[in-house]
Amino acid sequence: MGIQLDFVSSDVISSKSSLEKIDFIIEKIKNNVIVILEEGLSPKEEAELIETTMREIDVKDFHGIEFYRIDHKEMRLRDRLANYISGRKTGMTIVGPTRMVEAIKKESDGISVLAKAMKGTGKKGKGGKGSRKNARKDDTKKSEKKKQVKKHKKKPKDTGEKSAE
Amino acid sequence: MFDGLKKFLKLDRLIKKFKKKKQIQLGFYGPVNAGKTTLANKISLDWLGKEVGTVSEIPHETRHIQKIENVVVKTNNGALKMNIVDMPGIATQVDFKSFEEFGLNEEDARARAKEATKGVIEAIKWLDNVDAVLVVMDSAADPYTQVNITVIGNLEARDIPLIVVANKIDLENAAPASIENAFPQHVVVPISAATGENLDKLYQAIQEHLT
Repeated sequence: MGIQLDFVSSDVISSKSSLEKIDFIIEKIKNNVIVILEEGLSPKEEAELIETTMREIDVKDFHGIEFYRIDHKEMRLRDRLANYISGRKTGMTIVGPTRMVEAIKKESDGISVLAKAMKGTGKKGKGGKGSRKNARKDDTKKSEKKKQVKKHKKKPKDTGEKSAE
Repeated sequence: MFDGLKKFLKLDRLIKKFKKKKQIQLGFYGPVNAGKTTLANKISLDWLGKEVGTVSEIPHETRHIQKIENVVVKTNNGALKMNIVDMPGIATQVDFKSFEEFGLNEEDARARAKEATKGVIEAIKWLDNVDAVLVVMDSAADPYTQVNITVIGNLEARDIPLIVVANKIDLENAAPASIENAFPQHVVVPISAATGENLDKLYQAIQEHLT
């Protein structure tokens, strides 16, 4: 019993088509994994994510998602122009299943994610460096946790998909 | 690369500004229970003499798109002609058990949930069929939600002009200023669809910014 967070680097996510991205996210979510994408989804991809979620909802197990995109609005105009021209997306997206993620809320200095652990969390998810063995011991002591994800100006150094619990 | 540059310079928006339509297809978008149907009903009742949909405190009361055609609103600047398209509320989750809390039996709650998911899909698909949009939000609720951000982001990406409607200002805990702070790049009109307060200002804003 715990909370599995999968951090996915922009290299991994940008190599996928929009459809592949959505399938990738939904598969993880349905396995009770909270996904943090280094690269934000575009608004159209977000709409596709909602559409796909609605199609996948079933009354027994899957009731939907909570997600939030953090924008890098503080970027310099020159960088924003470069990103527009290259089509590169900025920001970070957090997505989780509603039965685990109770709320994702914008705070003055970042994003607050209120999540609760549940049985069977991440049982089909890909384990990595941060798999269950490396989980913090106190993770299992509390059934409910509040995790704070701060907004960073610098690009994270993640180069691949990894899991953390 | 050209598309990115074109988008950055907002050329599409500039071109659209010069192509004014006589009658616009005006979509009502927003989260569940923001008061979209209450607003559509109020406008329809005032100018056509009839209501179009039922409203309820149970979420997802509007599960199908409702159209009100040929609405002509008389303002100080002339007549405002529009077709109103009232959309089901956009949501990222639908749990039938939440409907049971409002007294629905399990069968009805499941049926409502199924219809609600279809309604959300239908509303998203309709983004390509509207000329302009009123994004209706609840002034008493937190405006920094992903649904609000996704709706506005998609309208911006499609160069569809929009006005943010800060509804329910009649409520004691209404804070329309928080909506203005959240979306400073857009025109925000505080109204109460329930009482009709500021509807004249909304019509004026539609005429100035969306036609």
